[in-house]
Amino acid sequence: MKPIKIAILSLTHGHTRKYFQTLNDNPNLEWVAVSAESESVRDVFLKSGYHVPCYMSDKEMFDKHPDIEAVVMASANYKHIDQFRECAKRGIHILSMKIPTFNMEEYAEMEDLIKKSGIVCQIELEMHYNPVINRMKQLFANNELGKVESFNATNITLSPVWAFPWQGVPEESYGKRISLSATDKRFRGGAICDHPHIFDMIRWLTNSDYEYVYAEVGPNMRTDIEVEDILLVNGKMKNGVSFLFDPSWSRLEERLKVPGPGWEIFPKRMEVNFNISGEKGVMMSDCFGPNVYHNGYPNDRYTVQYTYFDEWIGLMDEFIDCIRNHHVPKINLEWHKRTIEVINACYESIKTGQPVHLS
Amino acid sequence: MNKTDEALNKLLKKYDINNDQSLNLLPGWKFFDKKLKDTDIPLLSWRSNRKYVELNKLTSGNIVEHVCMLRFCCLTDKNTDLSTLMYREFDLCEFIGQGKICSIHATFSDNRGGNVIVKLDNGIICSVEIGNLLPDGSTMIDRHEIIARRGVASDIVVDTQIPQKSIYTYTEKGNFEYKDVDNELYGLSELEIESVRSSFNYLTGKRDKTALVKQHEHLSLLIKSAYISDKDCKKIEIK
Repeated sequence: MKPIKIAILSLTHGHTRKYFQTLNDNPNLEWVAVSAESESVRDVFLKSGYHVPCYMSDKEMFDKHPDIEAVVMASANYKHIDQFRECAKRGIHILSMKIPTFNMEEYAEMEDLIKKSGIVCQIELEMHYNPVINRMKQLFANNELGKVESFNATNITLSPVWAFPWQGVPEESYGKRISLSATDKRFRGGAICDHPHIFDMIRWLTNSDYEYVYAEVGPNMRTDIEVEDILLVNGKMKNGVSFLFDPSWSRLEERLKVPGPGWEIFPKRMEVNFNISGEKGVMMSDCFGPNVYHNGYPNDRYTVQYTYFDEWIGLMDEFIDCIRNHHVPKINLEWHKRTIEVINACYESIKTGQPVHLS
Repeated sequence: MNKTDEALNKLLKKYDINNDQSLNLLPGWKFFDKKLKDTDIPLLSWRSNRKYVELNKLTSGNIVEHVCMLRFCCLTDKNTDLSTLMYREFDLCEFIGQGKICSIHATFSDNRGGNVIVKLDNGIICSVEIGNLLPDGSTMIDRHEIIARRGVASDIVVDTQIPQKSIYTYTEKGNFEYKDVDNELYGLSELEIESVRSSFNYLTGKRDKTALVKQHEHLSLLIKSAYISDKDCKKIEIK
C-alpha cells in the first residue's frame, strides 16, 4: 500500500502527543509536516524529538506540501469549522478530534462538506480501539448479561486546562459563551465537553438511542476556572435502560504547562469504568487497568503508571483503511451527531433544572 | 499454524517485516538443560510484557531511586516447573534491578515450592518466592515489588494481595475475569502476547542473538546453582 502523506494541524489538543509515535511507526503513513498555533506550541513540539517540518500556519504548510492527503485535526474545538472548510476545499481527509463542534448548524455544514467533497472524516473516539472495550463488545455480542437493565459509567480525569488553556475558555471549547443557568456564573465548555466517550459507548453496547437525560452540576473543585468541572448525568434509553454517567474533571492536578511526570495529584489521572447490570448478571470493567504503581519521582506521591495507552494504533489503522479502501469510518459525523446532541441536551437540563427529552 | 504464530505473521505483515521461518523463537526456559542449535533463539519474552517494561522504566529512569530490595513472587499450577519460574524471575530481578545476580541461597520443598534470596552485583537483595501448587488450570499469580530509598513500586495495587483484572462478570454461568492488554493482539493471553511481542522485537532487530544466548547461559547457571544451594545448604557465589 502506498503510504498516506499525513500532517497534524495546530498541535493544541490534549491528545496531540499520542499520535506522534503512531504516525512515526505505521508503515502505511508518511508523516510529512505539522502546523503549530503558537511559538510556545512549536517549541514544545521541537523538543519531542520528531524531525518533522513545523509551520506556523495551516496555509503555509498546505502550500509547501500540496501532496498532503490527510490530517489529524488536533486543534481547539472552535477552530474545527474553518479547518474542515479548508480541508474539504483541498480534498484532504480528516481525523477530527472528539468534538467536531457543538454548534449544530456548523455540524450540518461539516456533514455537507464531507458529502460534497467525498473525503473521509473519522471522529477520534479512541475507546473503540481499547482492548477492554473490545472484550466488552464481545461479551455483549455473546449476550452474557442478557437484557441490560442499568448502565453506570465514569469518564473522569484531571483537568487539562492549565496545559491546554482553550479547554477552559467557553468560546474556544463550547464555541460560545453561554451561562450554565440564569443563577450560575459558570459557562458551558468544561468537563462534559472533554468526555464524550461514555455517551457514545452506551449507544454501541445497548444498541439503543437516548430517551431523555438529566444533568446536575456540583460546585467546582477548581474555583478559578470559568467552566464546569463536576457534574452527573442520568436518564433512560429508548429501550428502558437507565443510566448514570460521571464525566467530571474530579481528579486534581498540578498546574503544569506541559503534561509530564507528576501531573496528577490523585494517583490515577484518568478512569473509564463501567458497571453494567443485566437480567443474567453484572459486569464491572476498568478500561485503563490494571497498571503498575509507585510513589517516586517527582512528588513522592502514590501514582498509577499506565501500562497500556495504544488506542491510537487501531484508530489510525481504521483511518488508513477508510482512505485507501473507500470505507466509511464507524465513528463518522452522522453516527456521532447524536452524542453531540445529547451533550447539548445535558447543558439544557442544567439550565432548566429538568430532564430533557431527545427528539 | 497455532494462534501465536498466526498473530506474529499478521503483525510482521502489517509492519512489513520479514519472517525468518528457520528460527526457533521460544521463551528461553524452553531451552533449559538442552544444547542450543544455531537456529534456537532463547527469548526473554517477559521483557516485552508492558508491566515489566514499566517497572524497568521506573528503576532505569530513576523514578524510584537507589533500589535496596526486590520482593518477587510467582505461583502457578503443576504444569510449570520451578526451573521455568526461576528462569523468568531471576531474569526479571536483573532486568528490573539493573544488575547481575552474584549470589544465591535457595530452599526448595519437594520441587513444588521454594524461596530464594539472590543478591545483585549492585548490592540489591531480592526475595524470589516460587511455587507450582495452585490448583490445576489456575492462572499465574505474580507480584513484583521494588523497595528503594526514594519510593516503592509494584505491579499490584496497594492493600491487595493478588493481581487485578480489567473485567469481572458475575452471571448465571458463574464468576469470570478478563484481562486484555494489547488491542493489536486482541484475543491472546498475557503470556501469549509476551511471546509474540518478543518474537516480533527480535525479528525487527531490537534484540541481539549473542546477548540472548549469553543471558540464557547465565540464567541456566543460576538455576543449577539454586538447586545446588538447596541440596548443599549453602550460598553459591556466581562468578
